[in-house]
Amino acid sequence: MTAPEVSLVVVSYEIARELPRTLRSLAPPYQRACPRGRSEIIVVDNGSSRPPEAAAFADLDADLRVLHQESPTVSPVAAVNTGLAAARAPLVGVFIDGARLASPGLVAGALAAAALHPRPVVATLNYQLGPALHYDAASHGYDQAAEDRLLAGIGWPADGTRLFEVSTPEFRAGEAGPILESNGLFLPRALWDELGGYDTAFTEPGGGVVNADTLLRACALPGTQLIRLLGEGTFHQFHGGLSTSTHDKAIAVLKRGAIAYQRRRGVPLRTTRTPGWLFDARTGRRRWE
Amino acid sequence: MDAGSRLPCDRAQLRSWMIDYITAVLAIPAEKIDANAAFDSYGFDSVEAVVMAGVMEEEFGVPVDPIQLFEHPTIADFSARYAREETPATASPPAS
Repeated sequence: MTAPEVSLVVVSYEIARELPRTLRSLAPPYQRACPRGRSEIIVVDNGSSRPPEAAAFADLDADLRVLHQESPTVSPVAAVNTGLAAARAPLVGVFIDGARLASPGLVAGALAAAALHPRPVVATLNYQLGPALHYDAASHGYDQAAEDRLLAGIGWPADGTRLFEVSTPEFRAGEAGPILESNGLFLPRALWDELGGYDTAFTEPGGGVVNADTLLRACALPGTQLIRLLGEGTFHQFHGGLSTSTHDKAIAVLKRGAIAYQRRRGVPLRTTRTPGWLFDARTGRRRWE
Repeated sequence: MDAGSRLPCDRAQLRSWMIDYITAVLAIPAEKIDANAAFDSYGFDSVEAVVMAGVMEEEFGVPVDPIQLFEHPTIADFSARYAREETPATASPPAS
C-alpha cells in the first residue's frame, strides 16, 4: 500500500451522532483534490459506551481505521498519541474533538500550506454550527434537532462551503486575531515527534487546555512557522461537549484549565496572538509575512 | 471570591498587578493601557479575562469568579471593587 500524504487523527468519545458526519467530511469525494490514497483517517475511540467500528463507515471511499484506546481515561491525550503513533503519512492533522465537520478544501489546503515552509505549524480556524457559540445555544433555541434542520437546509454535504453561512466563528478579532487553539492542527510527522505528541501531564477531563498547550509548544519549537489556513475551517456539531455545553461550564472549564496550566508550566496560559502567515486555501495566496 | 469578598491587596497593588499581567499578555507597554477603558478596547478579550481570573486566584489565594471581571470590565473598576478596603486616614479634629 502506498503511504498517504496526510494522516487525519480523529478522537471519538460518545459522539455516535456526530462522528459519521465528521468522517464523511474528511473523506473523498467531499474533500476536494484529495482522492483516495492521498489521505488516511485514523479514528481513535476513547472509551465510548458503544464504540464505533470501521465497518460502519465502509460506504466511505476512504482508507479508514478505527482504533480503540486501551485503558481510556477522561483525558483524550493518550488517544491522540495513539493516533499519532499509528499515522503513516509525513503530515499529520489532529482533530482532538471528533465532533467537528471539515470544510471541503481543508485537507488539500493543509497540504498546500504545509508545503510553504520546512517546519510548518498549520492551524485551521474553529467555527461552531448555528447562530451562536454552543455554550449560548439554549438561549437561541438551538439544539441537535435544530442543527439537523440547519444542515439539511444548506443541503449538506453536497456543498460544504455553505457551512460558513450557518456557523459562528470562535475567534473574536478576525482570522488574524488571537486564537486559543486549533481543532485541525497539522504538523509534519517529524515535528510531532520533536514535540513528543500531546503532553500526557494533561490528565484532566477533556484534557483541559492541552490543545492550546500543544499549539503554543509547536509554535515555540525552533524555526517553526505558524501558518493559519483561511477559507477553510472546522465546524463544531452540538453535542454537549465539556467546554461547549453552557456558558458557566465553558468559563469554569477554561478557568480550571488555566489554573492547571499555570501550575504545570509556571507561566500563564496565553492565546496565540501572532498572526503568522495567512494562507488562503481557496486562492493560494499568502500574506502577512 | 463571592460578590462580598475582596482580594488581600490594596487598590494600588491590584491595579499594578493587573497592568503588569495584561501588558505581558498583550506584549505592549504599560503606557498603552488606560485603566479606565474596557479590557476589550485594547484587545484583551474575554478568553484572556477568564485565564486572568484563574491566575489571579493562584496569585492571591482567593477564588475569583471571571464573571466579576465581566461585570467590572476595567482595571480601575475591578480594583476599586475587589481590592481590600482602605482604612480612611485619621480624621483631623474639627477646628474649635
